[in-house]
Amino acid sequence: MNSASLPDPRRARTFRFIGCGYEAGEARLRYAFDDGPEMVECVVFPDAPRLQGSAKAAFDRAIQLLHWIAGVSYYKAGAVGRLAIENARPEPGVLALIQSVYRHGLAEFAYRNNLDLRAEWSVSAPSGMAMAVPEVGLSARTLVPIGGGKDSLVAVEALRSVGAEATATWIGDSPLIATCAARTGLPTLNIRRTLAPELFAYNRMGAWNGHVPVTAINSAILVCASLLYGYDSIAFANERSASSATLEYDGQLVNHQWSKGAGFERDFAAVVRESIAKDLRYFSLLRCWSELAVTRAFARLPQYFDVFSSCNRNFRILGSRPVDRWCGQCPKCHFVFLALAPFLPKPRLLSIFGRNLLDDEALAPGFDALLEYRGHKPFECVGEGAEARAAMAELADRPEWREDALVARFRSEILPQLDAASLGIGPWLEPQGEHGVPERLAGALRWLT
Amino acid sequence: MGQPALCSIVSTDSPLPATAPWIVLKFGGTSVSTAARWATIRALAHGRRAEGARVLVVVSALSGITDLLKAASQEDDVGARLVIAEQIEARHVELAHCLELPQSAQWRTHMDALRHIVQMETAPADLIPWQASVMAHGELLSSAMGADWLHAAWLDARSVLRASDQPNQSERMQRFSALLETQPDPRAAVELAGLGEILITQGFIARDVHGGTVLLGRGGSDTSAAHFGALLRAARVEIWTDVAGMFSANPRLVPDARLLRRLDYEEAQEIATTGAKVLHARCLAPLRGPRVPLWIKDTERPQLAGTEIGAEAVEASPSIKALSMRKGITLVSMESIGMWQQVGFLADVFAQFKRHGLSVDLIGSAETNVTVSLDSSENLLDSDALATLAADLAQVCRVKVIAPCAAITLVGRGMRGMLHRLQALLAELGGQRVHLISQSSNNLNLTFVTDESAADALLGRMHDLLLQSGALRADDGSIFGPSWRALYAAPMADTGSPWWRAQRVSLLRSAEQGTPKYVYHLPTIRERASALRGMSAVDRWYYALKANSHSAVLRELARAGFGLECVSPGELAEASAVAPETPRLFTPNFAPRDDYAAAFDAGALVCVDSLFPLQKWGDLLAGREIGLRVDLGVGVGHHEKVRTGGSGSKFGLPLADLPAFLAGARRIGARITLLHAHLGSGVLDAAHWAGVYVQLASLAEHVGTLRALDVGGGLGLPQREGEWPLDLAALDAALWDVKRAYPQFELWMEPGRYLVAEAGVLLARVTQVKDKDAYHYLGIDAGMHSLLRPALYGAHHRMVNLSRIDAAADSLYQVVGPICESGDVLGTDRRMPAGEEGDVILIEHAGAYGAVMASEYNRRGLPAQEILE
Repeated sequence: MNSASLPDPRRARTFRFIGCGYEAGEARLRYAFDDGPEMVECVVFPDAPRLQGSAKAAFDRAIQLLHWIAGVSYYKAGAVGRLAIENARPEPGVLALIQSVYRHGLAEFAYRNNLDLRAEWSVSAPSGMAMAVPEVGLSARTLVPIGGGKDSLVAVEALRSVGAEATATWIGDSPLIATCAARTGLPTLNIRRTLAPELFAYNRMGAWNGHVPVTAINSAILVCASLLYGYDSIAFANERSASSATLEYDGQLVNHQWSKGAGFERDFAAVVRESIAKDLRYFSLLRCWSELAVTRAFARLPQYFDVFSSCNRNFRILGSRPVDRWCGQCPKCHFVFLALAPFLPKPRLLSIFGRNLLDDEALAPGFDALLEYRGHKPFECVGEGAEARAAMAELADRPEWREDALVARFRSEILPQLDAASLGIGPWLEPQGEHGVPERLAGALRWLT
Repeated sequence: MGQPALCSIVSTDSPLPATAPWIVLKFGGTSVSTAARWATIRALAHGRRAEGARVLVVVSALSGITDLLKAASQEDDVGARLVIAEQIEARHVELAHCLELPQSAQWRTHMDALRHIVQMETAPADLIPWQASVMAHGELLSSAMGADWLHAAWLDARSVLRASDQPNQSERMQRFSALLETQPDPRAAVELAGLGEILITQGFIARDVHGGTVLLGRGGSDTSAAHFGALLRAARVEIWTDVAGMFSANPRLVPDARLLRRLDYEEAQEIATTGAKVLHARCLAPLRGPRVPLWIKDTERPQLAGTEIGAEAVEASPSIKALSMRKGITLVSMESIGMWQQVGFLADVFAQFKRHGLSVDLIGSAETNVTVSLDSSENLLDSDALATLAADLAQVCRVKVIAPCAAITLVGRGMRGMLHRLQALLAELGGQRVHLISQSSNNLNLTFVTDESAADALLGRMHDLLLQSGALRADDGSIFGPSWRALYAAPMADTGSPWWRAQRVSLLRSAEQGTPKYVYHLPTIRERASALRGMSAVDRWYYALKANSHSAVLRELARAGFGLECVSPGELAEASAVAPETPRLFTPNFAPRDDYAAAFDAGALVCVDSLFPLQKWGDLLAGREIGLRVDLGVGVGHHEKVRTGGSGSKFGLPLADLPAFLAGARRIGARITLLHAHLGSGVLDAAHWAGVYVQLASLAEHVGTLRALDVGGGLGLPQREGEWPLDLAALDAALWDVKRAYPQFELWMEPGRYLVAEAGVLLARVTQVKDKDAYHYLGIDAGMHSLLRPALYGAHHRMVNLSRIDAAADSLYQVVGPICESGDVLGTDRRMPAGEEGDVILIEHAGAYGAVMASEYNRRGLPAQEILE
C-alpha cells in the first residue's frame, strides 16, 4: 500500500461505520474516514454451518455488534470528533455499550497520546422494528477462549472438573496458543481475523496508535461464533484485579484492562442477553478470584508448565526453550514469576522460566513498578500491587528465597515501609464479589478453592 | 584397537573349542523394533560366531513397550490393564509377521504369563514386586522372539544376574533401580557355553537375594550387558545403539563435536556421569576390574568406527576429550564465619542434606563458604525438600539457593597439565556468571557451573575454543574421529571447486604484473546476490558497502536490486556516483552532526542509534522520517551473552532508552519508520536472525509508525574445513515463521561480507623462506597492510601456493608479511608445498574487508585491485 496516496486520518472529520456482511464463513466489516478508502476487516469462521430462523437473525445481530465494536481499532487511527453509524440503528442499550467501548476502552490510548476523545455520535440509519429477542435453542456447551497464559488454562480445568462440554478457542495465528489449546485435550476452534491493510498504511504515516480494548473485540467475535456453532455460554478467564484502574487521567479512570473488568462484563452480558440471544451467557469464570488465587490453582497443573506463557513480548512465537517463551523483561514475566513463587518448589519455578528473575539486580526497576514502589502501576495486565507485595513478603520469609538479590532488597529497603498487617497472602486466596457464572457451571468454582 | 585375536579358521558348522572367547552384543529398544534391524542383529551375531567367538545377545524391550507396561502396572482397572496387554501382544505379533516367524511356545508362555499377572489383584504390600514382574515382560517377550529369529538358546537373565542387598535403600529403589555385583565366574561361563554357541537374554532384569524379579532402572540394559561381559570375562562387550559412539560434546548442541574413537574407562565414566546419555553410567564399573573392553556402535550403520573403551591410554599427548553438560543444577551456597576451624561443622551441614534426601554432587569451599550442587531430581523439583533444607540450614548459616544452573565439565586425563591451553576458554568464561569451579584430585575433570540460560550457546563456543587452541587435539586420529555433522548431517551441498581454479592461468599471469593484488570475480557476486534474492521472506536487501566499495562491485549489486548501506559521507558519495538511483541507508555510529545533515540532503534513510541527536539536533531531525538502531544485547532473552552484550558495545540505543526516544521523536515530529538491529557477524545458524526479528517485532508494536524491520547482516561463510555453509532455505523458513505473525512490517536485511568475500582473492608472491627451530616461515609480499583481518580479528583465510597447485603439501608454514610488527602473520600452521621465491600465493575469501582496510603502513603502498567480469 502506497501511503503517499492516503489522506491523514487525523485530519478527517468523521469516522464512518459503512456496513457489514457475512457470507460462507467470512464476515466483512467496513469502515472509512470521511470519503477516504474503505477499510475492510475480515473475520473467518472455519467450517461454518448454514443458519436459519431465529439463530440466523441472532447471528446477524451479533455480526452487527461486532462491526460496531471492532471499529475501535480503526477509529483510533484518526481519533476524530465525530462517529457516524450509517447502516443500522443500534438500540439505546447497545449504543451505550459501544460508546463506552470507544471512551473507556481507549482511555489509556487517549492518556498516552494526550487526546480528548469526547466525540459526537450520529446515527443516520432508519430505526428498525424493536423486537423481543428470543431464545435460540443453543446447546449446553461452552466456548473457552485460550490466550496461552495461565488464567484460561485454569478456567479449562475448572470446567473439566464438572464434566462440562467445552471447546478451546482462539483468534489469530499463534503457535503458542495453538500448542496450549492442543494440550488441553479439548476440541479446538481457531477463528482468523485480518485487519484492513489500510490501517497499517495509516500507522506508517504516523496515525494515532496504541492500546485497544481487544477483549471487547474478541468477546463480540465469540458471540458470533457461539451462535454460529451452537454454544450457550462463553467462559472468559478474567480475574478480579482486572477491574482496578491503573490511574486517573482527565477526570477519568484509566484501566489498561478495562474490557477485562467486571463493568464491561456486566454491560456486555446484558446487551448479549437483551439484544442478541436470550439464552447465550457471557461471563468470566474467575471473576471473584485474585491473581494470586488463580496462580495458586495453576500451580497444581504441571501439564501446562512447558507450554504456557504470559509474556507479551515473545508470546506469538513458539519455542521449546524457556527463553523463547519468557522474555524475563516485561511486567507480565515479572508478575507471573513472583505470583507463582509462593506456590511452587523453587527449582520447579526456575525450570519454567529458565532463570531466576528475582536474583537479577538489573530487574529492580521492573519489580519496583510491580510493587508500586516509586511510581504507578505499569500498564499491563498484571495483578494489583498489593498482591505483588504479599507474594514478595511471603518470599522474604522463606530461607530458600530471601538471599536472592531482589528479595533481599525488598527486605531491607521496602518491607520496613509497609504495614505488616496488610501483607498476608491468605486473604487474597478467598473469593470475593459477584459473578455471572450460570447455575449449570457453578460447580466449577469449587475447583478453584 | 584392532580385532582381538580370536580362534582363527573356525567354520560356522564346526563346534567351538572350550576356550573360545565370549562376545556380548547388546541391542536397545529401537534396535529390536523393526525387521530390518533384526536382520542386522542376525548378521552381527552370526558374524561374531564366524570369527570364532561365543555370542551372548542382550536385548531391551521393543521401543515403547516398557512405557506401556509401566502404565499397566500403575493402572487400577483390570480391564484397562488387559487392553494394554493386548496392545503389547499386537505389537509383537506385527513384528513377528514382518519377520515371518511363527509364534513359538517360548514366546506364548511369556505372553500368557503377562496376561495372567495383569489380571491379578494385588495386596498393597505386594504392589512393588508385582509391578516389577509386570515391567520385566518387555524384555522376556523381545528375547523370546529373538531366540526364534536367531536360532539362539534362550537364557533367563535372572538365573545369572543377582542384585546385591542394599539395606539402606527403599524397597522401591531396591526393586526398580537394583545394583548388581558381578565377578568373573569361569564356572558360569562353562555352564552357559553348554547351552549353545549363540545365546540370547534380557537386559534390564535380574533377581534379588530372595529370587524375586528386580529391575536395573532406565538404561539398565547396558548395565546387564556389562555384567554379563564381566561374568564371562568376555573378549568385549558391544553396545549397539542409534549413534556411532561417544562424542566430544552433545552433538545436538554442537554438531561439530568429534567422535571419540578411544577412551579409557575412567574418562568414559567421567563423560557418562557428567552428562553424556549414550552410555549408562553404571555399566563401566564391572568391566574395569576384568579389563573387558566396551565398544559403542551404530546399529543403523555398523560400518562406522564407533567408540572403543578400554584400559590403556593411547594418546600421543594429553588432550581434553570431551565437554559434557548437565542442566537443572541447583547450587546451595552456605556462608558462615562459624565454619572457620570448627570441628564437625561440615558433617552437621551434610547430615541435613542426607536427612532431606538430597544427594550432593559438586563441592566448592572457602574458609567461610561452602557451596554444593544438587542434581535435578523429582524430590528437588516437586517436593518441599529444598525449602525445608534451606530452613534447617538457615539455623546455622546464611543460605543462598542459586538456580537454574548448568555444570559444564571438561574431561581429559591430566587436566591440570593442560591449564595453560585454556586461556581463550577462560577468557570466554570471564564474561559469564560462573558460580562454582570444581576440579578433583583424580585430575580427570574441570567443571564450571554457570547460568543454565547461557549454557547451550556457551557449550558450542567452548568447544570451538578448545578446538582452536589445540586443547582438544582433534588432529590426533587415534583418539578423535569425524564430526557428528560429517557422519550424520545431510551431505554438504557440493559447492564445486572455487572459481579461481578455472582462472588459475590468468591469475598467475596477472600476478606477474605486480603483487599484492586483489582480484574480484563478478560472476561469483552475481551468484551470491541471486541466492539471497531467492529468499522470499526478505522484502528489501541493502548491501553494506563497507565490506568492499569497489565501483564495479557496487554497480553489480545495484543492478541486482540491492540498496546500498553506507556509514560515512565518503561511502554515500561513492554510492551516489556509481548508482544514483539506488536507495541508500545511512547507519553511522558516533558520526558528527554534519554527516547526518549531508545524508538527509542526499536522500538517504538515516538511522539514529542514541538519544543524543534527538535531544541536541532536534531541528535537524524535526519532521523527518528516520530509522532507529536498537541494542537488543541486554537481557532480551534470546542472546545468551546478556551481561556483556549491551554495555560493552558502542552500537545501538539501549532498550531502556526506547520510551524516551519514542517520546522525543514524537515531540519533534520525527517519524520512526525503520527499526534496526545488528548483532555480531559470521553467523552460520539460521535461527539467529529469526530471534532478532521476533524481538524487533515485539518492540515494533510499541512504536506504531514503523514500515520495516531490519535484522542486519552477519550472514556467515564457512572458514575452515568441515564447517557447514549457512542454509538459506532454512533461514528463509525461519524468517517466515516470524513474518506470518507480523505481516504488517516489511523485512529488510543488509549483508556485506556474504555477498563479496568468496568473490575476492589476494595474490601475493613469496619473498623469503626461513627456518627457526621447529618453525618454518614463508614470507610473502602481502602483509597486515594489505589484509588486516588475521591481525585484527584472528580471522582464518585459507591459502594455496598457486604456482604449485598439485604438489604435495609437505611443509608446515607460518605465513608472514613484510611489515615490522610481530603480529604480521597471515596464517599459522599451514600445510603447503615447499615454497620458492616468486611463487604466487593465493589467499581466499579476501573480497570483503580486504582492500577497504588496507593501509600504507611502513610506506609499502596500497594493494592493486582487478576485476574479472
